[in-house]
Amino acid sequence: MPNLIYIILRRLRSPLIFLILVYAISMTGFVLIPGIDDQGQVHDMSFFHAFYFVSFMGTTIGFGEIPYAFTDAQRYWTLLSLYATVIAWLYAIGSILGAFQDPAFRQQLKRNAFTRKVGSIREPFYLVCGYGDTGSQLVRSLEKEGILAVIIDNDQDRINELEISDFVVQPLWICADASHSEVLEYAGIKHPWCTGIISLASDDTVNLTVAIVAQLLNPRVRLISRAETPEAEANILSFGANEVINPFEIFASHLALALHSPSLSILFDWMTAAPGDRIKEPVFPNHGKWIICGFGKFGEALYHHLSGGGEELSIIDVNRNKRNVPAGTVIGRATEAATLKKAGIESAVGIIAGTENDADNLSILMTANEINANMFRVARQNEDHNQHVFQAAELDLLMQRGRVVSNKIFALIRTPLLGDFLRIISRFNNDRASVLVSRVIGVIDHETLELWEVRLFPDKAPAIYNMLDEHQILVEDLLRDPVNRCKSVPAVPLFLKRGKGNVILPESNRILHKGDRILMCGTLEARQHMNTITHSINALGYALTGKYIPDGYIWRWIQSKRKVK
Amino acid sequence: MNSEKVVFAFFIVLALTLNFGFFIGNFDIPEHHNAYELFAAIVVSLIATVLKFGDRTHIGAVFLATSLVADLQLVAAAIVWGMVENVFDGVLTGSSLATVVSLSGGALLANLTSVILLVAETITVRR
Repeated sequence: MPNLIYIILRRLRSPLIFLILVYAISMTGFVLIPGIDDQGQVHDMSFFHAFYFVSFMGTTIGFGEIPYAFTDAQRYWTLLSLYATVIAWLYAIGSILGAFQDPAFRQQLKRNAFTRKVGSIREPFYLVCGYGDTGSQLVRSLEKEGILAVIIDNDQDRINELEISDFVVQPLWICADASHSEVLEYAGIKHPWCTGIISLASDDTVNLTVAIVAQLLNPRVRLISRAETPEAEANILSFGANEVINPFEIFASHLALALHSPSLSILFDWMTAAPGDRIKEPVFPNHGKWIICGFGKFGEALYHHLSGGGEELSIIDVNRNKRNVPAGTVIGRATEAATLKKAGIESAVGIIAGTENDADNLSILMTANEINANMFRVARQNEDHNQHVFQAAELDLLMQRGRVVSNKIFALIRTPLLGDFLRIISRFNNDRASVLVSRVIGVIDHETLELWEVRLFPDKAPAIYNMLDEHQILVEDLLRDPVNRCKSVPAVPLFLKRGKGNVILPESNRILHKGDRILMCGTLEARQHMNTITHSINALGYALTGKYIPDGYIWRWIQSKRKVK
Repeated sequence: MNSEKVVFAFFIVLALTLNFGFFIGNFDIPEHHNAYELFAAIVVSLIATVLKFGDRTHIGAVFLATSLVADLQLVAAAIVWGMVENVFDGVLTGSSLATVVSLSGGALLANLTSVILLVAETITVRR
């Protein structure tokens, strides 16, 4: 705030001095010039009257000639000083308005307002650095879940876009460079309610800087970062990041998973879907020969994952000078039929258009479709605004970088246990994964899959936490319907974490302890029911014993007396 | 030579000298205290104040404070004078004159402080 006052004061220096001088000269003039009073005597105006007259003349109010009608000499002086004072006032007011219009001043004003708003946050919030394709999708998802986001982006266009969009939970934003530590600081990285910082810059070095700064300023905060190369990923992880999201790696491993363990890939798909997304039909690509067009970061990740899975791969890249391309790479434009044929498209089972140009990617797939219509077609979509074109192309699988990253991050934020869970099940074989899938299918209606965490902490599940002192509670008790305790709600406990120990699919007769965290999946209704059980001591009492626990202290006291009898 | 410094020092010293000129003389003799001199002292003091607007240094802040004190004292003196002459239709003598002069005496101290600060600042700059 002091900065603002300094900016205004400095700009007001010359107009104010001008105003003071004009007033002083005018007043001196009126005091010096002799006037005539109503009796025809010479009357000298006092300083008081001079100031009074100049004040209302200068502000163009003009009450008239006081204390006596002026002589012509005084009127000459009035004419002169009238214009001088009006100009002085206009200059002063113009300067004040100019100061308010000044970009530096407005920037400072916005920054102060932002800092104040961040300081007054009293709920957990996430700091999102970067509001590009990924950032905007993530903020939307967070908003649907009711989580507050504080956004930093140094592109004014994106901030303008933010200013005109509608949000239910209004995020806070600032146009600034997130790699500056002071920006992160006033955006609330040290704020006691700051739960996490999400770095989504498209430039890995920026993400790395954010990771370092965040680690130094507040090591307690959860750090999720995006990275596009494995080297950057390792580097950011070494600076204490909790999760590093590499969209290419995620997508490539996904595709590899879909090839050799379809069940597992279905699970991954479901669990990292955006809120409200309908459950998609699973895709089943075939084993055989795959063509990868474009050997950039994406192509490399694909090659690494698919060749590890034992697929036959054929690479097409336009750049003949590129190093580290695998042997047998076809050099040429993948958009041309001749190049595709050279790569053996007639016998291929799938093609991946993974160049950095959306038009090229679409063109590759169109050409490929003409030659071999039975292929599994995968495209990489680079720009968010091309979404409709890619949808119209009816591809089997679409890699949207922003969506991949934002969905993954959102899933990790909503249910922090999910990261651990996915890491563990990614080592499952297909049969074990199938068991898991069938359990999950058993409880979902074919709309959306809800994931949530039950945390046995005093603030997250007060009813259960208090009840654990006197009563033993099993996993199956959590699943009881608060209306009819013999029925269970459609939900599956996927994962239980107690301290360092993990249990996948905990049995229904496992005893719960304080501090346990359980990852649940099921329908929205089941989630609401479980929320009732964990928060309402009455509902919990009914679910455990089938008896009604009185609400108020008096009734509880009466009941305890009855028990004693 | 820094013209900003020249202008600033000029106004600070002028405020002090004008103030002193008004203040000096017998407390109860109106002829010793000229209204024009008080007016000039107020104007110069106001300008000196505005000149220090927006200075972020510590010494700048103290300058601003002392100038504001001088303004306050001088304006109070002028108001007393104007009230006595115009509102109460009296003549400035005795106790009312003493009030005006002693108020300007307070302003004189503040202006003196400003000048001392100015000298101190000048001495620390060895250029």
